[in-house]
Amino acid sequence: MEPLLEVDQLRVRFRTKGSVKALLEKDDDPFIDGVMGVSFTIHPGQTFGLVGESGSGKTTLARAVMGLVPVHSGAIRFNGKNLIGLNRGQIKPFRRDIAMMFQDPAGSLSPRLKIRSLLAEPFRIHNRMPDNLPDEIARLLKMVNLSPAMGDLYPHQLSGGQARRVGVARALALSPKLIIADEPTAGLDVSVQGEILNLMARLQDELGVSFLIITHNLAVVRHVSDHAAIMYLGRFLEQGPTQTVFHHMQHPYTQALLSAHASPDPDAVHHRIAIFGEIPSLFSRPRGCEFHTRCPRVRDVCRERFPKAADQEKAHQYFCHFPLSESLQ
Amino acid sequence: MTQPVLDISNLCVNYQTPKGTVQALRHIHLQVPPAKVVGLVGESGCGKSTLISAVIRLMAENAHVAAGKIRFMGLDMQGFSASELRGIRGRDISMVFQDPMTALNPVLTIGRQMVDIQYRDGLSRKKKRERAARMLERVGISDGLSRLDNYPHQFSGGMRQRITIAMALLVQPKLLIADEPTTALDATLEVQIIRLLKDLQTDFQCAILFISHHLNVIAELCDYVGVMYAGELVEKGTVRDIFHRPGHPYTRSLLECDPSVIEEPTRFLPTIPGDIPSLIDLPKGCIFQDRCAHVMTVCRKTPPPAVHLGDHHTAACHFLEE
Repeated sequence: MEPLLEVDQLRVRFRTKGSVKALLEKDDDPFIDGVMGVSFTIHPGQTFGLVGESGSGKTTLARAVMGLVPVHSGAIRFNGKNLIGLNRGQIKPFRRDIAMMFQDPAGSLSPRLKIRSLLAEPFRIHNRMPDNLPDEIARLLKMVNLSPAMGDLYPHQLSGGQARRVGVARALALSPKLIIADEPTAGLDVSVQGEILNLMARLQDELGVSFLIITHNLAVVRHVSDHAAIMYLGRFLEQGPTQTVFHHMQHPYTQALLSAHASPDPDAVHHRIAIFGEIPSLFSRPRGCEFHTRCPRVRDVCRERFPKAADQEKAHQYFCHFPLSESLQ
Repeated sequence: MTQPVLDISNLCVNYQTPKGTVQALRHIHLQVPPAKVVGLVGESGCGKSTLISAVIRLMAENAHVAAGKIRFMGLDMQGFSASELRGIRGRDISMVFQDPMTALNPVLTIGRQMVDIQYRDGLSRKKKRERAARMLERVGISDGLSRLDNYPHQFSGGMRQRITIAMALLVQPKLLIADEPTTALDATLEVQIIRLLKDLQTDFQCAILFISHHLNVIAELCDYVGVMYAGELVEKGTVRDIFHRPGHPYTRSLLECDPSVIEEPTRFLPTIPGDIPSLIDLPKGCIFQDRCAHVMTVCRKTPPPAVHLGDHHTAACHFLEE
């Protein structure tokens, strides 16, 4: 099957100081890497879950796929066509096929527009006004389980879950093939979180749309995604089919991240893999494997060079000198 | 039984709004025993924050205590004057807030803020700085004395929350109120902060009232748990009562909804259908009736009694037996 989205060795860099300042400070590399050599594919109708701590580059990666941040190198192929290097006019048709659900649903809805006008925006921007706009808007609202009467409300009159559903409806407006959902459940109560995820699963079954879900909630990824990737300081440290990543993980970071979850059983005995401190700053990216500053299995070689992928061909990929399947001497 | 640090009995709080009176808290009974951690769990709009503001008597202007008593160390909080209250807040009761960035002043060094908070103690500035530095090291920020000269933005999110915890404990309070202290943090930092709070609580022997909407965090940290729904405390008990033998249907559905407890991967997760009822126009009978899977005629007519399920365990439901 042809992949829908193919990202190959994607690298996103941000300039940290102007060229004059860099020259004066003799800094020959005044950049930080937001995303560093990331490759993955999403097939039609599939869900790809992207997990990582704050600052790991999840949102930057999503924005790069959307064409919202300039890409330094690598390729983003959508339906076989490379999106990098296209100008504004050329990329616009692709923007119709890739929709975004933003992190803060209430913040991404203009407070001065009624829900009706907010839902009409995607059509207007892309010059795709349907013949009967009110019907189309009612259809969208119905699709996300909101009553058509909601069209007359303003965003502040909605609850968090309802605002999130308007976000889903907006993303669906132009019948995209891929929806990028940035933290679709952050800030929602557990009882509402399920509603949004079930809605997304139902829409996927009905419309065959693919999802790229960004989250730091591992439990969510375990249930909804077909493939999962663990991101750390701009790199995918491990990726593969969700079940493999969760049950046969090879990277110590994946293991630590999974064990860091609080459990709802007060008597549970935790076998926590202690990882110390916090994610390092992008301004002082550690040498070698970026995770060595927090890794419980760190050895000298980890501080020197970044490990090679175990097997590029396999679906399950990880970057570690000492994967968990090998015992340490 | 020893005297509880905080004793809330029959507390009712109303908000006056143009649309009518919002009955935000109704008949809350809750006790925080000395040197124990009591967790309050509930979803948005259940009245957790109203409860805290009522305890520290910092309520919104349109809020008032309609009935009930709040006793702190046996003394009636209602009886205190404004200046007496200022003497209690920040000395006997201190707080850790949700967002560590807004809780700290961005234009002052953390050293200045940590010295300022000790204004009541008759110590020299140098002594106060040393105490602050020791406290920083106690919460896991090494090189405390030199870090005192840093500004909040020079610390990461997890460290800032450690600093606010250090500040809250500097005054050696009898009661620490923690309002969702881990919500803004990643999972790896969340478990670090919980472990820290647990250690510190053992050291300082203060009581903690811990508010969260995250059940798992409550399970790990607390001794006693209260479950709130739409302004009522629907169930309370020891942490094992609540997590091993939940009585109230709301507690049970809340536990079932958590995706981390569902072993088999499923694309469709359980939810609690429906919305919280309006607190202006309260339904007759049980507050949870519209969302409850076991609702019967009696639930729509009479409010459920508080059923004692164990020594500390009570739940308000018609279908529970003692």
